[in-house]
Amino acid sequence: MVFPTLEFLLFFAVVLVLNLLCDGRPATRKAMLIGASYFFYGVWDVRFLALMGGVTVVAWVGGLFVTRPGLRRPVLILSIGLLLGTLGIFKYANFFILSLSGLLSSIGLARDMTWAGVILPVGISFYVFQAISYVVDVARGDIAHRKNPADVALYISFFPQLVAGPIVRAADFLPQIDAPQPPTAAIRAEAVVLILIGLFKKMVVANYLGVLLVDPTFAFPAEQDALTAWVALLAYAFQIFCDFSGYSDIAIGIALLLGYRFQRNFNQPYRAASLREFWQRWHISLSSFIRDYLYIPLGGNRGGAGRVAVVLIVTMTLAGLWHGAAWPFVMWGFLHGAGLAVERLFRARGLRLVRPVATLLTFAFVVLLWLPFRAGSTDVALQMLTTMTGGSLATSAPIALPVWVLLVIGFAMNHLPLSLRSRSIDAIANLPAIGQAATLALGVLLNFALSQEGTAPFIYFQF
Amino acid sequence: MRKQMTSFTLALWFFLLAAWVLSGDRLLNWAYEMPDLGPVDDAVLALLDGAETLRSGAGLHDYFGEFRTLLHSWTGFGRS
Repeated sequence: MVFPTLEFLLFFAVVLVLNLLCDGRPATRKAMLIGASYFFYGVWDVRFLALMGGVTVVAWVGGLFVTRPGLRRPVLILSIGLLLGTLGIFKYANFFILSLSGLLSSIGLARDMTWAGVILPVGISFYVFQAISYVVDVARGDIAHRKNPADVALYISFFPQLVAGPIVRAADFLPQIDAPQPPTAAIRAEAVVLILIGLFKKMVVANYLGVLLVDPTFAFPAEQDALTAWVALLAYAFQIFCDFSGYSDIAIGIALLLGYRFQRNFNQPYRAASLREFWQRWHISLSSFIRDYLYIPLGGNRGGAGRVAVVLIVTMTLAGLWHGAAWPFVMWGFLHGAGLAVERLFRARGLRLVRPVATLLTFAFVVLLWLPFRAGSTDVALQMLTTMTGGSLATSAPIALPVWVLLVIGFAMNHLPLSLRSRSIDAIANLPAIGQAATLALGVLLNFALSQEGTAPFIYFQF
Repeated sequence: MRKQMTSFTLALWFFLLAAWVLSGDRLLNWAYEMPDLGPVDDAVLALLDGAETLRSGAGLHDYFGEFRTLLHSWTGFGRS
């Protein structure tokens, strides 16, 4: 079940009523939200409910024992090993089998390995990371372990962020389970604005950029002219931003209406004047997770410049692999890591650029690196690169006017001052509750009317 | 605050029903495209089928569809 669909609309309307009926009964509310979340996930594929349940059990048991004297290290290793092992099997088995199969073919030992295909459960990368966050936070003493498994089950399965984030930290979410914040007029207004902006970004900007230009260009890269290929790459930069930040906006808005607050996941990333700043603004919940649970434990900023560069590259390469089990994602992560390392070297030597130039260079670097990310395979990436560098700049078919309009809107979605959003929230906060509901309903209707028939899945579902 | 949230939720349900009444037979199409809901699937389909019979009996236009066509012709999305 995905957000911008009628089935989700009906599902959420029912959950909203049930949540209201559970007011003042925390145990019932918790059970209802777990049931709703498992239903939400089960509609996609009922077989993987057991997998999510298993991940929850590992995290809960790990949390129970990880603070016992003498058990910290073995329990931490065992829990994280089991969780990463699960991720490894379901997400990376195919990748390693296909790579092995390719290697064997190249030396004349081709083997049919299609028997080993494993289905990728949607959202597994997100909920496994949340499970790891719970065990590690308990081990570090940041939070107390939960005796009630329902607390951990709700934290891991909570449907607004279950399949595509934001990755919510246990230390942020668990205290809210005990005392959800009732949606005041201001909170409802914030939720309405976030949901409507998120739907517009996804259903209108991201989907049409994909359908009108990005998908056909990447499907047949060799048949395109250079200008179309370059514009398609630029369009993808705004498509993925609107798609993913749109999902995060909707998720945060929905959670607010249920009484929970997630941290912001995007903060105008294409305004960044360095790669370091880009990663502080893009998918913030993942960047901070990787920083706290991978980069710092690997050594972080400690040691010489060479060592820090290696740690940066290793961390970002693993982040690339997290995004997708394919070589182009690994390359994408590696190049981001290398870019961060070079940037750090420049900073250490006192080299500074004026902000507009630095922003433009950062944007160009980020957009170029979306090429392997979108291509998904080395062949498509190389074909696109060949077209972009060697093709004619004269377009065989002009790029449609709506594409240019959508590019401007996508740019505005990233660059418009945040005060505009605050002013909209303030205006809606002053409406009576019925007026707020009318605003939400009319906005949803308008987005549905503008969108195509059918729903394209969110890009980050595959991760 | 609870009273306000109740008003908000009830109003949302009202608008949801209004949107359905004014949007042709989309609900029924959607219901049959929906993933199988297991034990409650037959009951949900029967409920939606009954509601749709009532709605079509009232002879209302597909105002949503007309609005959508108009928007798409203005924006150029209709040619996608």
